[in-house]
Amino acid sequence: MIRREFVFVFPAFLYAAGARASAQQIITGTNKGAEGIKLALPEFQPDSNDPKLAALAAVFNKVLWDDLDYSGGVTLVSRSLYPLGRFSEPGQIKIDDWTSAAVQAQYLAFGNIRTQNGISVEARLWDLKVAQNREVLGERFRSDATEEGARLIAHRLADAIIDRIGGKQGIAQTSIAHISERTPGVKELFLMDYDGNNSHGLTTYRSITLSPAWSPDGDKIAFASYRRGGPDIEILSPLDRRPYTFERAGGTTSMPAWSPDGSKIAFSTSRDGSDMEIYTADWNGKNMRRLTVNKAVDVSPVWNPRTGREIAFTSGRSGTPQIYIMDAEGTNVRRLIDEGGDAVNPAWSPDGMRIAFAWQRGTSRFDIYIHEIATGRNTQITNNAGDNEKPTWAPDGRHVAFESSRTGIKQIYSMILDGTKVRQLTNTGKNTAPAWSGFMK
Amino acid sequence: MTKTMLPSKIALVLLLVSTLVAFSCRKPQVATKPPAPPPVTTPTPPTPTPTITLRAEPATIERGGSVTLQWEARNAATVSITPGLGDVPVSGNRSVSPTSSVSYQATATGPGGTATDVARITVNIPPAPTPDKPKPPVTSTTIDTPSLKDILFEYDQADIRADMVAILQGNANWMKANPNARVTIQGHCDERGSEEYNLGLGDRRANAVKEYLLSQGIPASRLSTVSYGEDMPSCREQSEDCFARNRRAHLLAESR
Repeated sequence: MIRREFVFVFPAFLYAAGARASAQQIITGTNKGAEGIKLALPEFQPDSNDPKLAALAAVFNKVLWDDLDYSGGVTLVSRSLYPLGRFSEPGQIKIDDWTSAAVQAQYLAFGNIRTQNGISVEARLWDLKVAQNREVLGERFRSDATEEGARLIAHRLADAIIDRIGGKQGIAQTSIAHISERTPGVKELFLMDYDGNNSHGLTTYRSITLSPAWSPDGDKIAFASYRRGGPDIEILSPLDRRPYTFERAGGTTSMPAWSPDGSKIAFSTSRDGSDMEIYTADWNGKNMRRLTVNKAVDVSPVWNPRTGREIAFTSGRSGTPQIYIMDAEGTNVRRLIDEGGDAVNPAWSPDGMRIAFAWQRGTSRFDIYIHEIATGRNTQITNNAGDNEKPTWAPDGRHVAFESSRTGIKQIYSMILDGTKVRQLTNTGKNTAPAWSGFMK
Repeated sequence: MTKTMLPSKIALVLLLVSTLVAFSCRKPQVATKPPAPPPVTTPTPPTPTPTITLRAEPATIERGGSVTLQWEARNAATVSITPGLGDVPVSGNRSVSPTSSVSYQATATGPGGTATDVARITVNIPPAPTPDKPKPPVTSTTIDTPSLKDILFEYDQADIRADMVAILQGNANWMKANPNARVTIQGHCDERGSEEYNLGLGDRRANAVKEYLLSQGIPASRLSTVSYGEDMPSCREQSEDCFARNRRAHLLAESR
């Protein structure tokens, strides 16, 4: 665990040439909703030559840089442009060196890392554009003197920086659940950090596991498992693997999706003997209620996370699979996209404004698209060899993860909505069905 | 033992101290009333106090067994027994089957007062069965029966193809000839299309085969279905021939 405390912030204006004493509170306007703020991030300096500390500092610096780089909220200024020297204390910073034409940084994050009750990182974020009250953030973080501890501190600090100047809440402490096939025919539920690290299995059923979905509070993951015969829904806690009861639906039952208040689960089942239809139930499986009635496959339900009043799903009712939206009671069904091809895997954005989906649009491959509900506009965000499927939104609404067979075997990738900062997150076995967690409490 | 004084010891010490104080101080007596005469009691004929006896036989049982409670009261107008029995005749017996150890208390009430008796019943609870203990062996084996043939489907379709009807009829005939066999119908898809949609498509394929077998008089109790979507291909090459073989309903027989 990280303990956090406030560093005594030595008034930054004392270091600024020509500082005036008027105590005007600076609220930096540029930190609201702006992207691409130029941040300089010199390496945090270890305070001794201890090789173990140096190794931890290297991990910390790498993870912090990557978190901020992939955040999409800031533009990191290349280190090759920085002035020479060590920058771990306020007294070592000369503002002009960082705002010069060569660097043009708007913000500067710097600090040091030392061995003290585990490891301790002292971090500062300075707004270089103002002459006083420059320090936007001054905090000290502590954790275990382990690689995991160094990673945790870096994630925590990255989120703190993004929270202040990145325009959105940071996602560096979020997780991604997914399905991993590491023995042929055996698919288990896995969990990893949002950057692919710290991957570990949550189930050891030696069976087929499908379709993980996070509860809105982040305490539970619902999924489907074949371990008792046909696929049925199960729920467990990702922290302690504690199981929760969900009544067996029977038939082929999968694809659970939580309502935004966490009280209900929508899912797809053939329990009544017909083809798979969309149902809802209380999250313990009681009060199952059928929403769709037609002679076609209805799968992949997902709630509007903003209102909880609509459910998007995939249906074969018009021939090829297409995405539809209905009211949460099953009424008022309307087709989302009027063009042809297979449109599947709807994933509703956290703000309820967009639906990401996978589309086979006149090709034999699936690519990820973003559908803007208000305008009906579809934007393609992947274009690679192989299929790109099952998008899932990060809670910041700025990133998506998805599965792709671009390397020949399905792996999980994340990227920013504009198609940049693509990262391959998995590489052991075959990995599918990512489900991005909400913000961690 | 702890070194704190017990309340009785404290009381004793206080009594000694106060006695010493009383004797040493010799406080003048303020009130010097003569001692009150003993109260005068009018002699009345004695009202007999009730008595009751309550016995449990046997006093120890295994869970599920029963016990006879037997009671007899004298000089009582009413008798009640708790828990659960309430008001009962002045004497009698009753059979009870408590699920855990319990003390029954009988209270007899009469003009002369009340009396109670208690009978303790010990219920021995057998150890809980070990969870997930395997059930008694069922001699059933799932076997790939060569007589049961795969039913193949067109891409994204779940209708029985014309050229598959004869094969499916062969499967129906085999089931009629083997009336003890139960059959699980697995629905499968090729790897194209979406995995989630394919789960539904495999389910439709399995159900299409089930519907046909039902129409041939095979009882529903002998048929079950499961969809594996695209998760269990029989052929792993990326060729049209391989895709065609994977779009199938596969039948597994289980005999009793």
